[in-house]
Amino acid sequence: MPRLEQLAELQGHEDRVWCAAWHPTKPILATCSGDKTVRIWQATNAQDPTQWQCTGILEGAHKRTIRSVAWSPDGRQLATGSFDATTGIWEKDEDGNGDYECVATLEGHENETKSIAWSKSGALLATCSRDKSVWIWEVEEDNDFECLSVLQEHTQDVKMVAWHPTEELLASASYDDTIKIWRDDDDDWYCSDSLQGHDSTVWAIDFDPSGERIVSASADQTLKIWQRYKPGNPQGIVTPRRGEAVWKCVATVVGHHDRCIYSVSWSHAHGLVASAGADNTIRVFDIQDYDKEILTEEQIKATNEPGTLYQGVVLAATKNAHGTSDINSVAWYPSEEHGDWLASGGDDGFVRIWRIIRD
Amino acid sequence: MTTLINQNPVIYEASAQNSTREWREDDDNEDSTDPIDAQEIFDLIRSISDPEHPLSLEQLNVTQRDHITVSDENNSVLVEFTPTIPHCSMATLIGLCIRVRLLRCLPSRFKVDISVRKGTHQSEHAVNKQLNDKERVAAALENSHLLEVVNQCLATATSGGVVANIKAPVAVK
Repeated sequence: MPRLEQLAELQGHEDRVWCAAWHPTKPILATCSGDKTVRIWQATNAQDPTQWQCTGILEGAHKRTIRSVAWSPDGRQLATGSFDATTGIWEKDEDGNGDYECVATLEGHENETKSIAWSKSGALLATCSRDKSVWIWEVEEDNDFECLSVLQEHTQDVKMVAWHPTEELLASASYDDTIKIWRDDDDDWYCSDSLQGHDSTVWAIDFDPSGERIVSASADQTLKIWQRYKPGNPQGIVTPRRGEAVWKCVATVVGHHDRCIYSVSWSHAHGLVASAGADNTIRVFDIQDYDKEILTEEQIKATNEPGTLYQGVVLAATKNAHGTSDINSVAWYPSEEHGDWLASGGDDGFVRIWRIIRD
Repeated sequence: MTTLINQNPVIYEASAQNSTREWREDDDNEDSTDPIDAQEIFDLIRSISDPEHPLSLEQLNVTQRDHITVSDENNSVLVEFTPTIPHCSMATLIGLCIRVRLLRCLPSRFKVDISVRKGTHQSEHAVNKQLNDKERVAAALENSHLLEVVNQCLATATSGGVVANIKAPVAVK
């Protein structure tokens, strides 16, 4: 019977934990909190995954809640997005005392920064805010960051940004109930598609390992899967804008979460989707093909919709994963090495490390 | 003088007692935990001051006990409130005051939903969405000026019942 087994409970934050992010290659976890700090947690024993230690605290640079944290793809830097409207870039001071220090501060947003994300190559950083905009920054030498573009198509707060696993393609999730896809034409960034379907705020998004699908989590208590259809696709989905792919909703996972879903993570190791939110429950879904509703060519042509292609099968549901507290973030370990590990952070101020057991 | 949003609110009579609940044998027992009910929630919020007038939410009929739904075993609370006029721009602030009051007084296990009574506000969807967005609320409460206004409205909240001579809080600019 598949289930999530708790490996460790990490205490230390003095306020709610908003976000948990795994280092790209090592068993190191960064978590950020309303206590204005980031904590770095490391597994101390290769043979025993229940032993963890807090090995660093990033503090002093942000004057308000740190809402999101993300490692650069090479693992050498951390970016922090704060309610103080800035984004901090941190590096470990290897020559000095080994502490993390803030080496750059990105300003520009008019109010709270909600999310930051590094592109796969590490060349770009995206930030988003309650000011409704998404900013694209170019990472230059000497910790210089140049703003390439300020994108203002969302009509409300932008809650999260996430990059495609391989391409320079960005997705954003918003309080305006939509997800927008952004691409560039020689550093000229524009909105390539706008995904509508959720009935309320979209809090989180994640790409699947192939980058052809996105899973989204919303205050409407559902998860949706969106699939990319490029121009000339064999299914016959029309792509109205020249050269631009469209994304269509191909599944809605409904009837499981009964309160807002704050976070979703699609594993690159085994393809399972984890979601969690205000109903205190972490759920793990297997996204399987759904063949009960195969549409004919005529039906697809008539609606320009591919129909329901997948279903979310619940493998595990851990209630009260953080007691009676909301869970704000879930994150699968990024590689196969510890692909069964899942980190979660909640309103109780705790961070938990879990392992999915599938027997 | 700043123009008030609602110059002439209707004033209702607040009930003179603190609580309409009868004394129960268990009441003096400190160890027993009574399930939390609508009356208790109402008692917590009835004396919050309106941001604009020296009156309580109860006196303005903004909050009513019958518009509160509680399930102690499901850890859920729903508070519906009625803005005094349909275009009341204070609605979000009033909702925020209710939320902060309950955040500070209720056990953390409770999930609290706050909304305006259906049909009582012209932007009810927008107001409700804001009041129930945890991130927006958290960010708002880090705004010291806004927090000060909220605290002024909550200063009278412990009066439990009829409140005479509330000093009008500073109206939000």
